[in-house]
Amino acid sequence: MKNLRRFSQILFLALFFFLFIQTEYKGSDELGLPVKFFLDFDPLIALSTMLATHTVKAVFLFSLITIVVTVFFGRVFCGWVCPLGTLNTIVGWFRMRRGRPTPNDGRFPRLRPVKYFILVFILVAAVFGWNAAGILDPISLTIRSLAIGYNPGVNRIVRSILETAYAIDVPGISPAADAVYSAMVGTVLAFEQPVFRQMIPIALIFSVILGLNLLAPRFWCRYLCPLGAMLGIIGTRQMMARVDVNSEKCVSCGTCNRTCQGDATPFPPGQWASRECLVCWNCRDVCPCTAVSIHPTMRKTGEGNVDLERRWLLSTGAAALLSVPIVTLGEHRERVHPELIRPPGALPEKDFVKTCVKCGECMKVCLTNGLQPTLHQAGLEGLWTPILVPKLGYCEYHCNLCTQVCPTGAIQKISLKKKQKTKIGLATLDRSRCIPYTYNRNCGVCEEHCPAQGKAIRFEEEESVDRRGRPFVLKKPYVIPQICIGCGICENKCPVVDIPAIRISPINESRHDARLYL
Amino acid sequence: MTSRRDFLRILAAGAAGAMLPVRRLGALVPPHPPAATFGVARGTDTAAIVRKAVELVGGMGSFVDKGDVVFVKPNISWDKKPEQAATTNPVVVETVVKMVTEAGAKKIVVADNTCNDARRTYKRSGIKEAAEGAGAKVPFMEKRGFVSTNICGSVMSDWKVYREAMEADKIINVPIAKHHGLSDVTLSMKNLMGLIGGRRDLLHQNLPECVVDLAAYFKPTLNILDSVRLLKANGPQGSTLKDVVELNTVAASADPVRIDAFGISLFGDTIFSNDPEAFPHIEEAVKRGLGRSDFSGEGYMEANLG
Repeated sequence: MKNLRRFSQILFLALFFFLFIQTEYKGSDELGLPVKFFLDFDPLIALSTMLATHTVKAVFLFSLITIVVTVFFGRVFCGWVCPLGTLNTIVGWFRMRRGRPTPNDGRFPRLRPVKYFILVFILVAAVFGWNAAGILDPISLTIRSLAIGYNPGVNRIVRSILETAYAIDVPGISPAADAVYSAMVGTVLAFEQPVFRQMIPIALIFSVILGLNLLAPRFWCRYLCPLGAMLGIIGTRQMMARVDVNSEKCVSCGTCNRTCQGDATPFPPGQWASRECLVCWNCRDVCPCTAVSIHPTMRKTGEGNVDLERRWLLSTGAAALLSVPIVTLGEHRERVHPELIRPPGALPEKDFVKTCVKCGECMKVCLTNGLQPTLHQAGLEGLWTPILVPKLGYCEYHCNLCTQVCPTGAIQKISLKKKQKTKIGLATLDRSRCIPYTYNRNCGVCEEHCPAQGKAIRFEEEESVDRRGRPFVLKKPYVIPQICIGCGICENKCPVVDIPAIRISPINESRHDARLYL
Repeated sequence: MTSRRDFLRILAAGAAGAMLPVRRLGALVPPHPPAATFGVARGTDTAAIVRKAVELVGGMGSFVDKGDVVFVKPNISWDKKPEQAATTNPVVVETVVKMVTEAGAKKIVVADNTCNDARRTYKRSGIKEAAEGAGAKVPFMEKRGFVSTNICGSVMSDWKVYREAMEADKIINVPIAKHHGLSDVTLSMKNLMGLIGGRRDLLHQNLPECVVDLAAYFKPTLNILDSVRLLKANGPQGSTLKDVVELNTVAASADPVRIDAFGISLFGDTIFSNDPEAFPHIEEAVKRGLGRSDFSGEGYMEANLG
């Protein structure tokens, strides 16, 4: 049975990576594939977002499937499906291999309640308007960490190797490297080297989570994962897959405990904790005396489940309650941050921050690498939400990929036509840096690139004389705010590369009437 | 008295002599009327006018040799559809690739260093599909494909140049005639900016000199100007379809200056002047001896296919 489980884990991990790689422009304006598939089936994301926004969205209905399956089978999602769970299984395997053969090796039963408190914190905070689920939800965490943390590094390393091989002018090597490179770019590797702000911290957090497996296998799943806690509670009855140890057959070897993927202690008999069980079937498969059985039952189960003391639950809830006013208090709520350029289709800021689960799919799919995770620009409640950084990448006029991948509708799916009319900001010209204004030389790169219908950047022509005394027509750009949609290609292409002479700020964005000042 | 040996010798020499000129003459006498140095063809069948324009200047066979590696350089800069006339007409590119193939080229590469994302422009312009369908390779210009080279121009020196274009035996330049906000027009010489990398944005401060530097450096074997549709305002990428007029015209010449001069004549009163010499890049190119600005002069031929 555990081989079947492994097969399922690998299959879903492969599907996850396939969808991850497909979350990129592949030559069609419509992505087609459901790249947000895993998030759609995530009940924590659904519940937390519904609580925070007080709205029910049809897409959240998918997670009901996960809930129903969990009611009957327990945490099969954790044991058989979750990509982070599988990554943890793989790393944890090394720990299992060299673990000491004692029944309690690598187990920290006292830490079991932690994940429930994390869950309670998230849900209470959501009720009061802070949707923090995305930070620790395993699916969101994994997509974000891989997209922003790991993917740039992997790309960089593979590209460096292949480019070095390509540059060595040895017959046979260059063409081979070229062939491998061509085959990989746009398929496995990104089309262009991705660059992300906060790549290192986000990668480090994920690396620590993976590294914890060396302390205890699936440490994250056992003690920290809020989705695991939620599914554990939903699947407490686990009526189709109850683990039973026949005490008459049991020789108390403890092998079941040592191989338990969760921290569910099938041994000693009667101590099994159903909420901790990942339904991995290891205990049944390894038992030398076939004392362990897994079978359906209607009896109440989970005698060994952790008792969540009420005072701790209440304290956690209170902590969450108190944290919300603190988190939502800050500069970002007083005045819009000048870098807070949201992708087209983004909800009004307050709703956006409550709805976005920081999965990073929009940043992964962004054609120009312009969508980047925030740090402080949207406050702590908006940490790792997407902003457009025009200096790094502009918003491509004929592209709406980010609106297609958002799992919660924080970025609404809007048509290209609507997108091309959606103002995400406004260009302002810094005449003290602009080449024609300051240096009496023609430039015009911003005007050339402006894609807006009717041209948001135009020239004012002026008869001028160059430094050798020859007359010429000086073309001085200016911005037409009624037409500018803030796509940022002008800032991106401005030859004044350090502090561009034309810059986008979120003023005049169409999602806020209050900010439309022109 | 002629000995038998001498007689045989004379006979052999005569036979050889009689054969040689025949082969030489075969090369000299074109299968068509005498070739022009500037060909213009008009008509609604785009593929036919491309073929006609090239035929007027001697046919592709007189520019491309058997076994050549040929780099075809259309304009694929913008994420626009063909009818928006911001990128070279895909039928023009396709026909050029076919003609180059027919002339016996070993390998044909079609590529451009784009302004918008290359994945989008290659697709939306229709050029990738058309050129690949005709048998060309259509790679994206990746950073590693550029090498530093001295362009030896008046303002440009060391610059990143796309290696495949530099190493190709022949470059066929296939620009589209467009209005340009800064330089008023963009034609064959400016199209060569798509063969270089590096900080192209800086070139705009000396645009006329730079485009002439590029024309002098790359020396395209043949320039084929697409003005099937002409973008007459809001160039180089255009705004709405109101900026586009149909001219159904294609011109071909080895002389890029003449092609640009001809291009200027197409715009009518939508640009400040139709006098080629009023354009600084033409003035500069003529001064450097790159070509002539009187496009309709000697060797001009025109065909109207209807």
